[in-house]
Amino acid sequence: MVQASYFDGQSTRVREVVLSIVDSDLVVTGEDVNVRLPFAQVQVDERLGRASRRLRLPDGTFCEVRDLEQLDALLQAAGHRDGWVDRMQRHLQLVLVSCVVFVLVVAAAYKWGLPIAAEVGARHLPPALSQALTTQTLRVLDGTWLKESKISAERQAALTWQFHALRLPDGGTPNSELLFRRSRQLGSNAFTLPDGTIILLDDLVKSMKDDRQIVAVLSHELGHAYAHHSLQLLLQSSAVGAFLTLYVGDISALLAAAPAAIVQAKYSQKLEQEADDYGAALMIKNGMSPALLADALRTILASHPEASKEGYLSSHPSTDARMKHLRELAAAPH
Amino acid sequence: MEYAPANTTPPAAPVIGTPQQLRFTGTGASYFGIWIVNLLLTIVTLGIYSAWAKVRRLQYFYRHTELAGTGFDFHGSPKRILLGRIIAFVMLVAYNMSVRLHSIWTLVVILVLAAILPWLLRNSLRFRLYNTSWRGTRFHFRGSVGGAYRVFLLNGFLSFITLYLMVPFAHQRLKAYQHDNSFFGQTRFSFHARPGQFYLIYLMMLAGFLAFGIVLAMAGIGGAFKPLLLAQQHGGRIDPKAMLKAVAIIYGALILISVIIGPVIHALLTNLIWSNTRLGEHRIECHMSPLQLMWVTVSNLVLVVVTCGLFIPWAMVRMTRLHVESISITPASDLQEFADTPAEDLGAVGAETATVFDFDIAL
Repeated sequence: MVQASYFDGQSTRVREVVLSIVDSDLVVTGEDVNVRLPFAQVQVDERLGRASRRLRLPDGTFCEVRDLEQLDALLQAAGHRDGWVDRMQRHLQLVLVSCVVFVLVVAAAYKWGLPIAAEVGARHLPPALSQALTTQTLRVLDGTWLKESKISAERQAALTWQFHALRLPDGGTPNSELLFRRSRQLGSNAFTLPDGTIILLDDLVKSMKDDRQIVAVLSHELGHAYAHHSLQLLLQSSAVGAFLTLYVGDISALLAAAPAAIVQAKYSQKLEQEADDYGAALMIKNGMSPALLADALRTILASHPEASKEGYLSSHPSTDARMKHLRELAAAPH
Repeated sequence: MEYAPANTTPPAAPVIGTPQQLRFTGTGASYFGIWIVNLLLTIVTLGIYSAWAKVRRLQYFYRHTELAGTGFDFHGSPKRILLGRIIAFVMLVAYNMSVRLHSIWTLVVILVLAAILPWLLRNSLRFRLYNTSWRGTRFHFRGSVGGAYRVFLLNGFLSFITLYLMVPFAHQRLKAYQHDNSFFGQTRFSFHARPGQFYLIYLMMLAGFLAFGIVLAMAGIGGAFKPLLLAQQHGGRIDPKAMLKAVAIIYGALILISVIIGPVIHALLTNLIWSNTRLGEHRIECHMSPLQLMWVTVSNLVLVVVTCGLFIPWAMVRMTRLHVESISITPASDLQEFADTPAEDLGAVGAETATVFDFDIAL
C-alpha cells in the first residue's frame, strides 16, 4: 500500500489515492478513482534525487509518489527493475568510479586521442578549405603586420631557387610557395600558413650570416607544412573549446573560453619538435648538418632580446633544449 | 547519494490570497551522481548521449521545483533533442567556417541564419513550454511567426541603427511577446511591465559601467595598454609581456563585470519581469536579492575553478535554488481548475539551435 496523488492529465485537480499490487496488476483506489491494469503497461519514471516519482498509465493519467522507499518496495513486488543508468546514478561506488574514469578518459583523449584525431583530420580536410583559409589569413596579415619585402628581386630569386632545389625526405621537392615580407612587429621570423605557404621575413634573411641557415629555417617550416600543423592546431583548439563548453558552459561562458589558449601552448611545443625533426631529416638528406638549424635558432633568439626563454618563444619548447636536440641529431651517425 | 529527508506529506490545497513560494528541493550531492554519470556517457559516445543527459538534467531540476507541493516535469524526447542538436551543429559549423573565410559566402550564410533564426527561436519557445507541465497540465506558447520576426529581427535591427538606444524597449517587447503568448493549459499569462521600467534598469547598468571604468582609470590600468598603442602607431616590436598583461587585464575586467554588475542587473530585470507577469488572475511576485545573487555567482566561480569543475553540480543547484525560491504565486483560487488542451507535436530543432548559438532567452 503506497500513498500517491492521482492526476487525470486533463486538469490540475489532485486526487489522493492508494496504490497496491495484486497478482502483478497495479490497483489504484481513491476519490473517484478505481483503476486496475497489468503492471507491464505502466511506465515508471526514473528516480532522480528526492523528486517524486511518477507511474504513467497508458491513458495519459499518472500517479505521483512522494515516499520513494515505499515505492521501491512496491516496484520490487511488481517485479520492476530500474534501468542501468538510473541505478548507476545513485550508486555511490559507481559514481566514484565514473568520476575516476571520466578524469582518465579526458586525460587520455587530451594526451593521445586529440593529437591523432587532429593529424588524421588535418590530412583529410579538402585542400580548397586550407587554400581559402590561407588567402584570408594572408589578406588580413598584409593589411596589418606584414609589409612588402625590401629584399632585392635577385636575392629573393636566389633563395627561392635554393628552396625549390631541396629534396624532401620522401624524395619529392617542396610544393609550398615561398613569400617574402617585412614586419617590424614580428622581427626575425618565418611561419607557415594552412596550405603550406611559407612567409619569410626580411629581418631573418638579413640576420643570418650563412644562406644555409636560412635554408635550415625553411626546412623546419617545411616540417610544419608537411604535417599540416596549422590545420591541426585549428582542429585541436576547436575540440578543446567544444569540450570546455560542454563541461563548464552551464556555469560561465567566460570560464569556458579562458583556458583554451593556455591549453594550446602545450600542443604547439610538440609540433615545433616534430618540425625540428622533419627539418633535421631533410637537411641530412640534402647533405647539410642539423646543427645549422641550431645556429639559426641562436641567431633568432639573439635578435629577440625581450623574448629570452619565455615570452614570444613560449609556444616553442625551451630553445636551449631544441638546440641541444638538433646538435645531438647532427652528431649521430647517419 | 541522497541526504535530504523525505518529505512524504501529500500536497495541501493552497490558501487563497496567500503567496505560495516556489520550492527547490534538489541537492548538490544527489545531482552529482547524475551529472558525472551522464557526462561520462556523453564523452565516451562523442557527444551523442548529451541529448539524454540534457533530458535528465532538465527533469532533475524541473521535478525538484515545487509549487503547492507538486513538482514540475519535463517531457522532451531525447531523440528529438538529438536531431535538433545535429541540425544546430551543422549550422554552427557552416557559420564558423564562413566567418573565417570572409568571402561572399559569409554574407550569404549570415543572411540565411538571420532569416531563419526568429522562426527557430519561436519554435524553441514552443518546444520548451509545451514540454513543461505541472500536475499533468502542459504549458504552451502561441506567439505568431510574424511576432517573432518583429521582436527578434526588426527590433534587433532598430536597436543597432539607433546606437542601442532602443535596446531596453526591444527587451520589453521581447518579454511581452514571450509572456503574453504563454499559456498554462488554457489559462493565459499576461505581461504588464512598461518600457520606462526597463530603461531605468539599463540606465543603472550604464552608471555601473561608468563607475567601473572610472575606478579602472584611477587605478592607472590604462597605462598597461600604452606600449601596445605605441607599437601599433609607430611600428616596432610588441613586448610580449605587455601584451600578456593587457590580455590578463581585459579578461580580469570581464570577470569582475560578470560577477558584480552582471548579477545586480540580472536580479533587477528578473524581478521586474516576473513581478509584472500574471497567470490568469493569479499574481506572481519575484524578489531576488542582488547581493545574494552576487554572492552565489562569485562563490560558485571560485569553487568551480578551485575544484577543477567538480563543484559544478552544487553550483547549479545553488543557482537554481536562488532563482526558483525568489518566485511566489498568490493564487486567486485553489489552483485545481486549470484545464489542459489537446496534444501537439513539436520538434526540438529550434530549441537546440537556440542553445548552440547561445541565445539565452530564458530571463
